[in-house]
Parts: sequence; structure tokens; C-alpha cells
Amino acid sequence: MIEDWHQPWLNGVELLEDSNHNKHFLPTGYEGIDVLLGGGLCEGQLTEMVGPSSSGKTQVCLYSAALVADKHFGVVMFVDTCNSFSPKRIACIVDQLSSSFSGEAKERRLKRVMSNIFCHSVFDIFALLDVLHQLEFKLKQQVKSGDTKICLLIIDSISSLLTPVLGGKGSEGRLLMVSAGIILKKLANEYNISVLVTNHMVGGEGGILKPALGESWKSIPHVRLQLTRDQGSNICNVSILKHTFMATGRTAKFVIHSRSCSVQDGRGR
Amino acid sequence: MEENPRGWIHGDETAKAMLSRILTERPFLFLPPLHRVPLRVGNVVEIAGPSPSAKSQILLHAAVNCILPEEWKGIRFGGLGRMVMYFDLDCRFDVLRLSQILKHRIMEAYRSTNNTYWKEKGEHQKNDAPTTHMYLCDDELFLDCMRRFLYIRCYNSFEFLAALKAMHSHSQRESEALGVSVHFLMIDSIGAFYWMDRACQPMPIGGSKRKNVSLQSLAEAVVQEICKLLQMQPVLVLATKATIFGAGTSGNDAQRLAHDVNLPILRSTSSTRAFGKWCSEGKMDSRTSSREGEKLMYREYMPSSWQSFVTHRVHLQALGL
Repeated sequence: MIEDWHQPWLNGVELLEDSNHNKHFLPTGYEGIDVLLGGGLCEGQLTEMVGPSSSGKTQVCLYSAALVADKHFGVVMFVDTCNSFSPKRIACIVDQLSSSFSGEAKERRLKRVMSNIFCHSVFDIFALLDVLHQLEFKLKQQVKSGDTKICLLIIDSISSLLTPVLGGKGSEGRLLMVSAGIILKKLANEYNISVLVTNHMVGGEGGILKPALGESWKSIPHVRLQLTRDQGSNICNVSILKHTFMATGRTAKFVIHSRSCSVQDGRGR
Repeated sequence: MEENPRGWIHGDETAKAMLSRILTERPFLFLPPLHRVPLRVGNVVEIAGPSPSAKSQILLHAAVNCILPEEWKGIRFGGLGRMVMYFDLDCRFDVLRLSQILKHRIMEAYRSTNNTYWKEKGEHQKNDAPTTHMYLCDDELFLDCMRRFLYIRCYNSFEFLAALKAMHSHSQRESEALGVSVHFLMIDSIGAFYWMDRACQPMPIGGSKRKNVSLQSLAEAVVQEICKLLQMQPVLVLATKATIFGAGTSGNDAQRLAHDVNLPILRSTSSTRAFGKWCSEGKMDSRTSSREGEKLMYREYMPSSWQSFVTHRVHLQALGL
């Protein structure tokens, strides 16, 4: 009877099997990041991208959403807190990916991709927790049916929801943050979802920028990546701040193409 | 009832006999990188440090040390060959990292045996036969070791308590199946549910006979369960704890800290692979331990029942990349 009150016991062999069969890597589309992470975003893990504004975080989110939806990995859920989700940009990316297709096939492909991305707008932490609880409930029911299930959950950006509640000495803010972290990791582990969240940076000691959300947040994500972009260039740097099995400090570069897609010039990407 | 009160007064054994008995039954363990701290079964070690300071890595290395056998097919691994019980409260355990460390240790042992073998033979050419032999044995040993690693994930304090209550019967079952007993009890991040438990209102559930649910009562219940386990099955408890409050806290906390950081303080680099740079500072006070002016001021946030349960406290600090 007490078995109902805790998670099942596992051993090392079962953990390895679960990791090999269920926890796949989802490519972000940017080769630099994918190679750095050993394949891409890992299902079952909470990945955080930290960077100052306009360092490419939203672009990575949109690109991975489009790519994952396009390549039939599963459904993508995009939780948008700062109106950064842009259907036009998704359409542009799909256009680039299907540059060799004819007009009608392109339309169909775009429709399919768009129907696999679900976008929710939330503007405070309570709405986010609500959305996550509903998702968990839905997934529990869905285990029985065989619908295409969600494999990527993006929250852009979680720090804009948490920073307003974290100020001051009260503990309610940290409680909400830790609860959100726990439910995200639970969703990731139990339902084989890769969770990607973005965070911004704040000024620290000596004027050096540091990631927002403080000390308690540091032990919540599995993987923490830092993005920087030099002004005026479209080359971004990504470095590992924390990873479950790779050394910190490893870096890579990737390029963000900001080509507009109204002109199809037949030269491919 | 005692029929011979004189015999009762004379005692069962001398202190010397008792000491030698205990040292053979419960020998000291030296776990790298904590090899300067002799640990015994029944100790409760708390490994505390800020976020990127390799606490979980220490647990994983200790776990690998425990699940590897002492010797296997003629090759000496130097492990304990016992089971490890891992409570993942942080839910950040990555089995790939564990298997990476385990494979690395196995390869190292094979390589050193290979080198000594060829040194003895006096030959400088290494043919392929030992290496293929190595790869064939690899899988069997690897799976054998992984089977000795028991794992459970907990998403809140209640699940943790339930798991602790059920642990004894589960470990008995596994011991019967595998033939070895549990030696380590590892808790990754004992403070994982601190904020959630703190918010529990101390209100009575279902009448005044039941205990109130609060941070203190939950911590007491956890300590009680672990004590019960230690009585039935002596294990070494290793718990990590993330320091939540940053450095530079107020003055009265410094006094509270001063008495509990009276143990060897180890510093580590924050790289996950390089374990070379370990230096122990010896016994020192937290206030005077700053070399470059950094202060090791971290506020203790666990309730007093946990604090008094801990027998060894280790502080880790990242020396910077």
C-alpha cells in the first residue's frame, strides 16, 4: 500500500534502458549548439538558456520549435510570456527548410508544422503553474490513447514571470520558483519531454552580468547555457555553464540567419 | 533476570576487545576525494556548497567506488562490491554520467593491469588478445555493477518519507536477489523541498491527536526514519545540500556558523572531469578561512533536528574556472 505513495524503485540497468529507449535528443537546428550538446536538447532534461537581450535566445526557441514540429518528433508547446512567438518567423524557417518543394507542398507542410505547435500566452507565474498542471493532467489521460504526444516544451522567458515575485525577503517567490522547477522536471522525466526555458541577465558584483533568478534557481536546471552575441554580427557564442555529464566552459559558435523570406531566389539556404 | 549480579558488574568485554571488534566489523572508509576524513558506517555526512561545486560528483564517485567489486576475473578494482541506495530529491540525476565514471574506472583498472602484465613479461609489444578480452568482460561487469545501484526519485517530502519507510523491505529483497547488502544511503539535496515545507502551515490535520505538518516536524520524521534504518541496517549516509543564501550574511549568523564549520574544509575546482586539484585546509574556523578575502558564510537553513543528526559536515567551494 505504501508503494502508491512513492515513485517506483529502479536500478542502474533499468535507468540506462530508459535513457536509451525513451530519452532522445531533439536538434535545435543550429549545428554549433547541437554538436556542443552531443545531439541537441535532451528529453527528460530541463535546459536553460541565459543571455542578455537580443543574444539569440528567442531565435533558438523558434527554430527548434519549427524543426521539431517539421521532423515529426512530436508536438511542441510554446509558452510565451513576452509576446516573442512569431508565426511569421516560423513560416520563414519552414520556408527555408522546404526550399526544394513546390508551392502547394510547401503550404501543406507549413500547415502541418503550424498545427503541431501550440502556443499559450501567460503573463504571470500562477497562470504558468495552471497551464503546467493542466498539461500534466492531460498527459496522464493521454497515456492510454496513442495520440502524437508533446516532446518539447518551451517557456520564453521564465525569468519575466519569476522576477516580479522574487524580490524582497519573502519566501513566497522562491516557493513558486521551486514548485515550477519541480513540476517542469517531473513533466520532463515522466513523459519524456525536453523542457527549454530562457532567462535574462542582471548586473552583479563589479558590474559583471550574471544570470537572473538567484542562487536557488541554479540547482534547478540540468543544463545551463550562456549565449552572447557581438553587436551587429549574427554570430552567437554559446558556452556551457552547467551540464550533467560534460565539462563546463566548453563553447561553440552558431550563426543566426535573419534572411527575409519574401524573395525566393532558388539558391537554397 | 540476572542471577549473577557480580558478573553483570564485571562487564562483557574490555574496552580494547570492543574497539578491535568494532574496527573489524565497521572498518573505516576512505572515499576519495574525502580520503582525509575517515568515515564509518553509521556516520551521517553532509556535503554542502554553492551550486556549481561538484557535490553530486562526489556522490557519484563514492557510488562507483561502492558498486565496483573488490576483484573480478583476476583484476583488482578495489571497490566494496556492495549496493548503493540513491534518493534523488533534486531530480537531476543523469545515468549517463554514472555509466561514464564507471566505464572510466573499469578501463583504468584494465589498463594498469595490462601495463603491469607487460612489464613483468618484459615485452614492449601489446597484442590484441588482452584488449578483446577486456571488451568482452566489460559488459558483464558493467551490468553487474549497475544492478547494485538502487535509485528512487521523490517529488515532495511526503514521497521522500514514504520511500524511506519502504526502503528497508526493498533493500532486503534486493539483498536476497543479489547477495550483497546496502552500504551507502545517498540523498541528493536534502534541502530540495525546503521552500515548499517552509510554506506548510502548522495546522492540525484531522483532530488534535495527529501531529502538525510543518518544516520541523517533517525534518524530525525524516531523521527518525533514517535512525530506524540505521538501527536495522547500518549504512553510511551521504547527503548533499545546496547553500541557498549567498555569502555575506548578517553578523549574528556568523556566530552560529562558527561552531559547525570545525572540520577539514576541502576545496575543489568546478570542472567535472579533472579531480586532480584537491587540497585540504586542515581544521579552521569559518571566519578566518578566507585566503583571497572570500568568505565562507552560508546560512544554515535546515531545521535543528537535521543539524544535530549530522555527524560530519564538509564544505565545498569552487576555486573558479
